Amino acid sequence: MTIRVTEEAFDPGAEIAAFNTALNDGEGPGDAGALASFVGYCRAATAGRPVGTLYIEQYPGFTAREIQRLADDVSRQLGTLDLLVVHRVGTIHPGEAIVLVAALAAHRAEAFEAVRLLMDYLKTDAPLWKKETGPDGARWIEPTAQDHARRAKAGEQV
Amino acid sequence: MVKLVFLGRFREIANPALAQVALPGHVHTLAGLRDWLAQAEPALGRALESARTQVAVNQAIVRDPSHPIANDDEIAFLPPMSGG
Repeated sequence: MTIRVTEEAFDPGAEIAAFNTALNDGEGPGDAGALASFVGYCRAATAGRPVGTLYIEQYPGFTAREIQRLADDVSRQLGTLDLLVVHRVGTIHPGEAIVLVAALAAHRAEAFEAVRLLMDYLKTDAPLWKKETGPDGARWIEPTAQDHARRAKAGEQV
Repeated sequence: MVKLVFLGRFREIANPALAQVALPGHVHTLAGLRDWLAQAEPALGRALESARTQVAVNQAIVRDPSHPIANDDEIAFLPPMSGG
């Protein structure tokens, strides 16, 4: 399992390729037949308002450990073979990747489900704080009612 | 002395001098700390009031307001999280 919280821009394609290679190098689990991934990007506009930049704050140390705990829970629930999370923090520009979640599993159902579940957890339970800066100033973003509803459906506090 | 950490919008309101602070003798619990903060920094106190504010002591979430505070503790105030 790899969890990375980084201030550096990353290339999701290269991360996924490396994750895949690591599992097929003869040292990883040989029964992986499915890889699913999700990449969240910084939008250029939200509800018609242009977004200048996004700033994401972490609580150093705590944030990566909590994401690890959420990923461990998903891995236990779904029996995935491996999980990858890369999350940007700091200043992010439109078009840049914010988050990458990838799951390796024996079959597609667990791989798809692991990515969806881990994203639901991250939206409401990862200690990260997002601030959007646009032409009318800056505002801190909090999880939407929809995020909370999805999280409630995903399961009780882990 | 305790170390206070304010994240996200709390950080923008909090007095930076609170990062390392000597608490008055009567503050022994998280609830006491919140009362003291509300008096010393009313705007911050109001921001922290929400039921969705979480508190971490030494980087572990603590929900019990009567949790004791010890010298050298790191106490963090976390607004609702918004990752992903």
